[in-house]
Amino acid sequence: MTPVHAEALLLLKSGRNLVALLLLVALSVAAVWSGSVQVSGQQEVIERVAQAQEEDLAAVEQAQAGPRGDPGYAGYYAFMLTQDPPPALAFAAMGLRDLQPYVLRVRALGLQQQLYDAEIYNPELALPGVFDWAFVLVYLTPLVIIALAHDLVTGEREAGRLRLLLSLPGGGVWRRRVILRYLLVVIALGLPLIVGACLAAAPMTGTAAMLLTAALYCAFWFGLALLLGSLLRASTTAAAAMTGCWIVLTLILPTLGNAVIARAIPAGKGIDLTLAQREAVHAGWDIPKSETFERFFSSHPQWREKGQFEGRFHWKWYYAMHQVGDEAVAEDVVAYRTSLIAREDWTRRLGYVLPGVGAMTIVHRLADTDQLGQFAYQDSIAGFHEKLRHFYYPYLFNDRPFTRADFNQIPRYAPRVQSDSLAVVSLLMLMLVAALLAYLGARGIARVSGVQ
Amino acid sequence: MTGATLIAREEWRALLRNRAGLVATALLVLLVLVASFTSLERHSSIEADRAHYQATVDHAFDQQPDRHPHRMVHYGQFVFRPIAPLAFFDSGVDSFTGNIIFLEGHRQNSANFAEARQSSLLLRFGQLTPAFVLQTLAPLLLIFLGFASVARERERGTLRLMLAHGINGRELLLGKLLGHAAIALAVGLPAFIVLLGFALAGAAAWPETLLMLGGYSAWLLLWVLLSVSASALVQRPRDALAVLVGLWMVVVILLPRVLPEVAAARISLDTKIETEIVLHRELAAIGDSHDPEDPYFNEFREKVLAEYGVESIEELPVQYAGLVGIEGERLTSAIYAEAASRSAARESAQNRFVHAFSALSPLLAIRQLSMTLAGSDAGAHSDFLQQAEDFRYRFVQQLNRMQAELLPGISGEDPRISATYWQDIPRFDYQALDPLRRQEDILWPFVVLVGWIGGLLTIAAFAAQRLERIAK
Repeated sequence: MTPVHAEALLLLKSGRNLVALLLLVALSVAAVWSGSVQVSGQQEVIERVAQAQEEDLAAVEQAQAGPRGDPGYAGYYAFMLTQDPPPALAFAAMGLRDLQPYVLRVRALGLQQQLYDAEIYNPELALPGVFDWAFVLVYLTPLVIIALAHDLVTGEREAGRLRLLLSLPGGGVWRRRVILRYLLVVIALGLPLIVGACLAAAPMTGTAAMLLTAALYCAFWFGLALLLGSLLRASTTAAAAMTGCWIVLTLILPTLGNAVIARAIPAGKGIDLTLAQREAVHAGWDIPKSETFERFFSSHPQWREKGQFEGRFHWKWYYAMHQVGDEAVAEDVVAYRTSLIAREDWTRRLGYVLPGVGAMTIVHRLADTDQLGQFAYQDSIAGFHEKLRHFYYPYLFNDRPFTRADFNQIPRYAPRVQSDSLAVVSLLMLMLVAALLAYLGARGIARVSGVQ
Repeated sequence: MTGATLIAREEWRALLRNRAGLVATALLVLLVLVASFTSLERHSSIEADRAHYQATVDHAFDQQPDRHPHRMVHYGQFVFRPIAPLAFFDSGVDSFTGNIIFLEGHRQNSANFAEARQSSLLLRFGQLTPAFVLQTLAPLLLIFLGFASVARERERGTLRLMLAHGINGRELLLGKLLGHAAIALAVGLPAFIVLLGFALAGAAAWPETLLMLGGYSAWLLLWVLLSVSASALVQRPRDALAVLVGLWMVVVILLPRVLPEVAAARISLDTKIETEIVLHRELAAIGDSHDPEDPYFNEFREKVLAEYGVESIEELPVQYAGLVGIEGERLTSAIYAEAASRSAARESAQNRFVHAFSALSPLLAIRQLSMTLAGSDAGAHSDFLQQAEDFRYRFVQQLNRMQAELLPGISGEDPRISATYWQDIPRFDYQALDPLRRQEDILWPFVVLVGWIGGLLTIAAFAAQRLERIAK
């Protein structure tokens, strides 16, 4: 029997270690499964909505394309579906996808009054957060590591074997024990992730980066366990101290950080722009139509010659007014987005010093399910909306009838390109922190060995 | 009982010597105070913001020029949800619900700009409120203080000694429980003082405050019972610690996250898009008011003509289009209401499914109780939505009536009514939901908490008996 075999046997013979490892395997499998269920649930919703939407559009076509053939009515009633299918790695880190809409209908009227509409979700179910692999990694794995590693040194001392162990020739007993435990934890976390990634046909690089993040995060906690274990005399004190660290690092500091960020960076511009947009659109009814047109033509000069009409109402004026309403709040839109991005930035920076927050940032950026993913979706909706407007303008301004055939020409939304990326600085910082703790832990162990 | 008080006093002395325990307790107390302060500050700034916005939009509504009333139907009104006074203590689902709704004719818009949609994922780590500290962190502190209470004596052999000196197992355990219960209440005290201060200042009602105190006291005692009993049942302190932290993880962290996933998978909600599509289909099925041959609106026209005793629409003293508007609003609102209640029923079925497991995870019970009493639960939010919808219906119909009654007297091709009428339109006057009227939401959590305490007392009695056996 090789020493590694012997260590493995010793490890698994201990009821607590076995339970902790099996628990981690079970949680990790359950989390990947639960994430996959949520992903397929979202895919089903998208398919269901797409089906209903097709029928609705056909009904609009039926009602509008007949005798009237008015492009104004067509654009008014024909909502177009946009959808944001779950990215391949979403099963591991659902992020904000339980709150943020992944289906949204838009029409060629003012975008800003459509873009922030909320989908129906149950706030009470959203409150505790999602159960997925990222949650198991960030929250629960440290507790398993605490169970496995808090008494590596103190346990031997308490059992009276420490002196004997240290006098054994060959050394490396700690290294074997720690690495064995570490590898088992990483495998327990990683295998279900790999299986899930294969089933979801997720990209290799993203999956590998997630695994690397998990490995670094675990290294941080093992390092901390060794450090505290070598500093403290009793196993119980070591366990309590480590759990204390866990509370501070994953519960207290992140919530404090969130409170500070939310307070320091207000996001009220969203409401401001909504209110301003309403005023702009409704004032349009009370000011001379030429004023609205003038503003519209300055950004859409190609229609300048087509601004005249008879009577009190023409759809081209109505669509122009909506566009002018959007343009009037462009600054607020930028300010709103800037404030939300600032919140993201500060969260990322907090992750440089809090490994839990750092790991969370990295995996959700890889899965593209964080706020930045939602921004990418919103931007792609905005791009589509622009295409949609410009599709209707020739009909409206040239007074062209909108026939049944034209309904088939309405642009369709194509899902956005994934915007996932590797948060390089966050990963480097996590690497640094993990290396630091691993080094300190190793030094702690070395000191214990030296003293005895 | 002198034995028990003696033991309790001895336990306090031991805890005073436990420097790490003291530091942790001090930190928790500090955290409660920091949480109270920041949450209160945040609460009042949100409140001020919303009051300011509400005043601004109300003023803007009054300032609108002479207009056709239907234009005002679509100018609409924005309403902001005021937050309940005790929401600073437990912000509940407030960050997850949109708190601003745009109300206009024939549409029900969603409540938008939920804080959680504007925050990074950091929000999902939890929100720093006194409720978060008491619900999530305080149990861990009580575990750390209590896991060794009996197991320590057993490991050192002092247990046998005490029992040999005539202290019986029951007295011993009672003493430990008393000692730790007093500490638990002391841990809760800062939060309780904040609550009581609020009630004294008249900012919160007494019944809610006292029920909140009762609920959290029960919650903290439950963890004392758990940790002392576990400590009496196992051989070594560290086993007690492992069991208790494991239990905490399952009860406080894991189950509250897993159960909602199960509920969502079992009962699905329709999307807003599907609801809207169905709504349009149902409306189209009723009839088309623009179609002169439409049977539904023909019947409606006949009814109106008969009511006014005239032969044709031209003879009506009111504007017919306005009456059609009123009827259309009635129809759409009814269909919307039906869809909304369907969706609300599904949501509450999901919540009931989760709540049913509060016997397994009493965190769900205390959370439910606390949110309900604080007025920050899902029920309070749906009550707000309902009030907003009732208000929307009233003011839209009032504008439609203005159109029907006032427009016939105005000639011209762009008829408008005077801007002074806008001031007759009521403003949203939100009546906070009285938590005490929701007895079931308050009663059941208490039943669960008391049930747990009862069950744990039984286990403690059993543990006491087992301790006796050691002496023999």
